[in-house]
Amino acid sequence: MSDSDSDCFNVPLKEQEEWEDVTPIPQEEEANTVCPIAYTDEYSDMMGYLRAVMAKCEVSQRALDLTGRVIKVNPGHYTVWMYRKKLVEELGTDSESELDWVTEISEIHHKNYQLWHYREALISRLLDPKTVEDLTQDQLVGHPAIRRELLFASNAIDGDSKNFHAWSYRQWIVRTYGIWDQELVFIETMINEDVRNNSAWNQRYFVLIGDGRGKSASEPDPPLEDSLADREIDYAIEKIILAPNNECPWSYITGLLLRHAPKKLYTTLLPKIQELAAAGSDYAACIASTAMYWSTLVDIYECQAKALPDQASALLDIARDACDLLASDHDPMRNRYWDFRKSQLTMSK
Amino acid sequence: MASGKEQEEEGVYGGLHVDKHVEYVKSLDKRHNEIEYWMTEHLRVSGIYWGLVALHLVGRQDTLNREQVIAYVKSCQNSDGGFGGHVGHDSHLLYTMSAVQILVMYDALDQIDGAKVVSFVSGLQDDAGEVSGDQWGEKDTRFAFISVAILSFFGATDRLNTDGIVDYVCRSMNYDGGFGSQPGGESHAAQVYTCVAALAILGRLDGVDRERLSSWLAERQVACGGLNGRPQKLEDVCYSWWVLSSLQVLGRVHWIDRARLCDFILSAQDTDAGGIADRPGDIADVYHTCFGLCGLSLAGFDKFPLEEIDPVYCMPAKIIERAGLRSWVDKIPKSWNDK
Repeated sequence: MSDSDSDCFNVPLKEQEEWEDVTPIPQEEEANTVCPIAYTDEYSDMMGYLRAVMAKCEVSQRALDLTGRVIKVNPGHYTVWMYRKKLVEELGTDSESELDWVTEISEIHHKNYQLWHYREALISRLLDPKTVEDLTQDQLVGHPAIRRELLFASNAIDGDSKNFHAWSYRQWIVRTYGIWDQELVFIETMINEDVRNNSAWNQRYFVLIGDGRGKSASEPDPPLEDSLADREIDYAIEKIILAPNNECPWSYITGLLLRHAPKKLYTTLLPKIQELAAAGSDYAACIASTAMYWSTLVDIYECQAKALPDQASALLDIARDACDLLASDHDPMRNRYWDFRKSQLTMSK
Repeated sequence: MASGKEQEEEGVYGGLHVDKHVEYVKSLDKRHNEIEYWMTEHLRVSGIYWGLVALHLVGRQDTLNREQVIAYVKSCQNSDGGFGGHVGHDSHLLYTMSAVQILVMYDALDQIDGAKVVSFVSGLQDDAGEVSGDQWGEKDTRFAFISVAILSFFGATDRLNTDGIVDYVCRSMNYDGGFGSQPGGESHAAQVYTCVAALAILGRLDGVDRERLSSWLAERQVACGGLNGRPQKLEDVCYSWWVLSSLQVLGRVHWIDRARLCDFILSAQDTDAGGIADRPGDIADVYHTCFGLCGLSLAGFDKFPLEEIDPVYCMPAKIIERAGLRSWVDKIPKSWNDK
């Protein structure tokens, strides 16, 4: 809405010769409106004419321009987007200029749902994946259409780093055109900018494992190669050190390993985080005072106890102690959760 | 001699400005000189639904004119059987859901052509089991839930490929136990609600990682007592609903500090004009008013007799009972029957 000041000085459609042949369809309540403010007048004017052209299924440039004006002021009006899509198709509007128009809208309305779906539909029409399937990833990334879309999404993310539409859109591009490698680079840049960006961490999982499309939910989780698991553990630790209270890397590495390399939780991750928390370590004070450290220990010991039953008793004792510490010191707001968790750490599981 | 406690003004109960919120909801239809009124035209039906739920929660559901609302809702049904957000707007699942919910609350579902609604909704599922919001094809796990919920009102869930829905929802489960808008999408509390609710209605909560998800949801509570929707994001009153409803289904509402959450919701009220905002100091809207009151009800706010809200349908539990749809409670996995 904020950019609509320039529209205030436009001549109302009802005073434009071009629109003389159209009778606007008013909103029912307008008859009862008392002292509408000027802005409301302008919007009502546009909407009256929009309703009229939609009612007669008009296909014309003036109708297209009108949808642009309405969307600019009120992008949540989803019916208008669909009308515009029909118009663009029937008028044969140039896709490039239409994409530029969507970009203009996105700069004003970052959180709008409709524009992403609209853009995806445009790109799908413009660049059939089959026509580029022989290109290498480098060539694909260099393709002007793909490069532009990646830039569009990253600009949106620049404006709002956790805009989940933009991140989903990137998933769609990556998956559709097969450009996984560049995404990892992008993710690392984003995590470097803000280690607390959970969207970026979620994207990292996506790049590593994919999103399971084409598979059923009941299929087992694919195992992660040792070298990749090790790489991810080191990466997560590097980021944990930057902000030990940040739940993202802890949640990421625990979730990743639990699903795809559970043994690595206790053979590799455990000693590394214990080293960080050990007395004398540079990080001891900050790591050992975070809820995330102790909560991760509980997860790891629980997993290890299941895998190594002869050590289970001792491991579960330590895990239960960690739950006590969490309930009393490190995460008291969730003390009921930790009491429950403790009660579940028994041999009979 | 000072009494221990200040006399609370009339219509205020333990800090909850009930009368002001009722006036606020009543006033929404009259704000024709506000641009917001026109800007939200496309979701007017949902606005009425949120307002009606808010009124039900405080026992003032007769505040709106039943016949007028029913007539308006009926006028939003299109020839394809779906409902638009307002008269003359294209059909969409979101507004079809709100329309049906309003009619159920007014016990007037029989006044519309239910067969056409069922046909519209069931036509939105593709061969892969995924569900679009409308004929233009945007897919989202929210729509999986909505399609199941709407058809359950008509006893017609068998018109969907429910195995396909369960699979689609479960494939949208992430490494943290949460759910995203589609497979690979970041876990978000609102998507968690819709995914859990869909599985609850279909009796397939076995697909949920109860421990991991409950823990993730409990972690949404931040230091000020409010709830956020994703890690490292700001708290917002609407998550009082999205998070708490899911925790209620999972049987774990007690894992968050309910008193602090109630304090947070109350602090987001507009105590002059009524209504509740997303967080303290911001402008109220009917969406946050609805979900703030839902959150208070789920959190057990006891200074006013708030109606019980059904955590799957986001409608009064009594009404869901009357509609014969509380059976989802009986389909909760037996192994979940702990404290």
